Amino acid sequence: MSDYFCLSDLSFSYKGYGKTEKLPPVLKDLSLRVKEGSRTLILGPPDSGKTTLARIACGLLPRYIEGYLTGKVLLKGEEIPASEPWLLADKLTYTAQNVQEQLLMTTCGDEVAFPLESLAIERQALIERVEESLNSWGLLKYKDVNPQELSGGERKRLLLAVTAAIDAPLWIMDEPFDDLDEQWRQELKKRLLEKKGTVIVFASRYIKEADSLFDNYYLLNDTRLSEESRATAFSKLQALDRGTALNIKMEKFHQNRELRCEQMVIGHERRSTDSTLPFTLKIDRFSLKTGEVVALVGPNGAGKSTFSRVLCGLKRPQQGSITLDGESIAASKRLAQVAYLFQNPDYGIFLSSVEQELGWSLRHSAVHSKQEQIASAAKLFDLNLDENPSMMSYGKRKQLQGAVYYILNRPFVIIDEVDSGITSGDASKMVALLKQRGSAVVVITHDRSFAKQVATRQYKIVDGQIIESEVGQ
Amino acid sequence: MNTNTFIAGRGLLYWFDARAKLLTVLLFSVMVFFPSQVVMLAILMALIFIVAWRAVTFKQALKPLRTLLFILVVMALFIPLNRRDGVALLVIKSYVIITKEGLNQFLTLALRLLIVTYLCTLYIWTTPMADINLSFRWYGLSYKVALTITLAFRFIPFIGETFTMIRDSHSLRSAHGESEGEKFHIKDLVPTVTSALVFALKTIPHLATTLEHRGFGSGLKRSDYKVLEAKGGLFIHFLLSAIILLTTFVLLNSI
Amino acid sequence: MNEKTKSKSPALSIALMSILTAVVVVFTIFPRIPTPIHGYINLSDVIITFSAFLFGPWVAAVAGGLGTGIADIIGGFPQWAVFSFLIHGLQGLLIALIARAGLKKGVPGDAKIYMQILGGVVGMVVMTGGYYLVGGFLYGFKPALVEIPLNLLQSGVGVVLGIVVSKGVLKAYPPVRSLAL
Repeated sequence: MSDYFCLSDLSFSYKGYGKTEKLPPVLKDLSLRVKEGSRTLILGPPDSGKTTLARIACGLLPRYIEGYLTGKVLLKGEEIPASEPWLLADKLTYTAQNVQEQLLMTTCGDEVAFPLESLAIERQALIERVEESLNSWGLLKYKDVNPQELSGGERKRLLLAVTAAIDAPLWIMDEPFDDLDEQWRQELKKRLLEKKGTVIVFASRYIKEADSLFDNYYLLNDTRLSEESRATAFSKLQALDRGTALNIKMEKFHQNRELRCEQMVIGHERRSTDSTLPFTLKIDRFSLKTGEVVALVGPNGAGKSTFSRVLCGLKRPQQGSITLDGESIAASKRLAQVAYLFQNPDYGIFLSSVEQELGWSLRHSAVHSKQEQIASAAKLFDLNLDENPSMMSYGKRKQLQGAVYYILNRPFVIIDEVDSGITSGDASKMVALLKQRGSAVVVITHDRSFAKQVATRQYKIVDGQIIESEVGQ
Repeated sequence: MNTNTFIAGRGLLYWFDARAKLLTVLLFSVMVFFPSQVVMLAILMALIFIVAWRAVTFKQALKPLRTLLFILVVMALFIPLNRRDGVALLVIKSYVIITKEGLNQFLTLALRLLIVTYLCTLYIWTTPMADINLSFRWYGLSYKVALTITLAFRFIPFIGETFTMIRDSHSLRSAHGESEGEKFHIKDLVPTVTSALVFALKTIPHLATTLEHRGFGSGLKRSDYKVLEAKGGLFIHFLLSAIILLTTFVLLNSI
Repeated sequence: MNEKTKSKSPALSIALMSILTAVVVVFTIFPRIPTPIHGYINLSDVIITFSAFLFGPWVAAVAGGLGTGIADIIGGFPQWAVFSFLIHGLQGLLIALIARAGLKKGVPGDAKIYMQILGGVVGMVVMTGGYYLVGGFLYGFKPALVEIPLNLLQSGVGVVLGIVVSKGVLKAYPPVRSLAL
């Protein structure tokens, strides 16, 4: 059987804007052959170029993002029409990892209908396909609802409904199991098994649904793609995830400080169209002492970010107050005491080099050794002082966020989803660095085993209550 | 960020087809600017207010009046400067404050303003944005422009939320021991605006490639998921429009 | 990606215009200081100026016009939508055309910033003048004078911040140049 889909000697580098014309290659001489009807899993640690490869395979890159591509992408023996991507609309569907990239419309129905309209599907049939696809992913009730009002998992399902409606023979999916809860992960596995067509899935972590789902396994790492058996692919991935051992010297800068909340009630507008009532979070008692690492866990939408916003002073609670070292502390004062690293590291970027971004953190201080501090922070977080932050990979931007707050040296630090988008090894390192001078660190995570790895205590959000629980539960 | 302007309800205005309604609002607004008696304008305004009251609640129907209140007050304050050469109505210490013509001028302008505002507002309240967009297309607006409008509405809440997060992120970063008071400082404005623009610009290539990936750009004629359906036939709606406009015309030009 | 792709790509121009329109709407509604007459002092002019400098006349006209028009509709001033569309559309168009003249070959290097400032000032006149004329027609020319200083302030701040932010964005995100049509 000839290859249905083929990547041949693919090499790719992003364009450098500045000193270098070409950034170091993301992919080098990559080849991949996929048979018709097969299911392939391509594993790769964060920042390995998975999304870049996925986009190139679909003809989406380099189109409006500049880069240098050599090699070929072949579908059924012919090169894909990279200059007329609409020709692929009914042949290949790409499901992005970041759902927001692919949402176009203001209602779920319109979203599913858009590609069908492009394909000039006749109206009656179109309406039926929209309803059927939405229904199969449990979204029919949201047909006239704005996708921005849905939860992350529901939006992922919307993308899957669009994919189902188009029903192209080739599916290229980037982290499709992400964000879905158990029930829908099983459902996705079932659909993939039933799919009459070819499927290529990209992932960066172990997915248990992978057992008995895929025919071929590949590992993408350090610009190369290699075929592996299922066992070696996952074990190699895990090794890459762990990273190297840490050796960080602790300093005693922040000591004996405690942040406390008691009998607190926080208003939390839950993002789901099931209930439009604002929902409240109750905290009986929460304490955070310098020097410790505390995990905060709970399902999506439970209120972890809301609680964090209250702690750092961005939001006021409905009832109760927060004390620092026994004394009540106002929201505006908390801003300087409690750091909050948002899940998305891009919110703070506005300067053109790492050096400037780090320097911005020091602009108020009269410290003489600013340059040294900047240089040492960059070194600790593996950053290049001259690089432009908006051109760096996601993992590096996260490290930059860490470095910015490392320099700010606040006594209390909250990190939201530190382990998403970077390896567990790098995430542990970031936590250790932020804790280095005695700060208290709150780690928000989904990964119970990561929580166990880094934290000594844990708080859990269950049914609107924040309670202390055993780490890793 | 709420981009929803539609207020759900029932009644004639909701039944009335979006295309015919649009024409009615436009021509009605134009007619109101031709010379006419204040009394007639007042009657029309009263009728419109009653229609608004029936369509939405009384409190809601007062909202447009509230947004105009200050400007109406300002306009009223300027009455003494209008038409000082008319029949005096209010004289204080032999100084003419208000003339009949001046008052007339104020009332004419004020009523026109109120009528046009209420007409536009009622249109927005009783017609979903998607239908308004489809009406424009029916009148000849190109698919591309209509799509641009739809995409803008899709991104407004997303960018709005992002802007809030960016603003908060900069506040957190800038906060230092001696800072007091509100969390957002004016000196954070440039960084915040820059970050927000960079964020927005980064979404553009993804939006463009997604559009193409979903088939846009081929030049093929697209099918339509949603179409406007005038209940009872479009002719009846345009007939209603003609009746309303004719009645208004007659009223405004009588006496 | 080659030049041919860019100039003939409807998807890219639509994406560019809709995102910038959305940004104008957000900046019109979000940071605002209420003035009772027409909406608020807002930062829409910053984005319009930015769009004019970086993306040229058509993008600036659409983003400015559609953006402020939509903002009026959403914000409770639908009677102003058509007028804002025309005024800010023209403002964006003129700022871009004048600023562009400073980029032509054979023009001295300094000219760029001066033309940008000139464009900005013309934009201020168009915006303030436009709102004055329409306001005069709707409320009377004397009451409409009240808004002039506020509009001058808003559009003036728009030009200054627009220049500063354009420079900042070009440095922080160099690929923006490749998005320009």
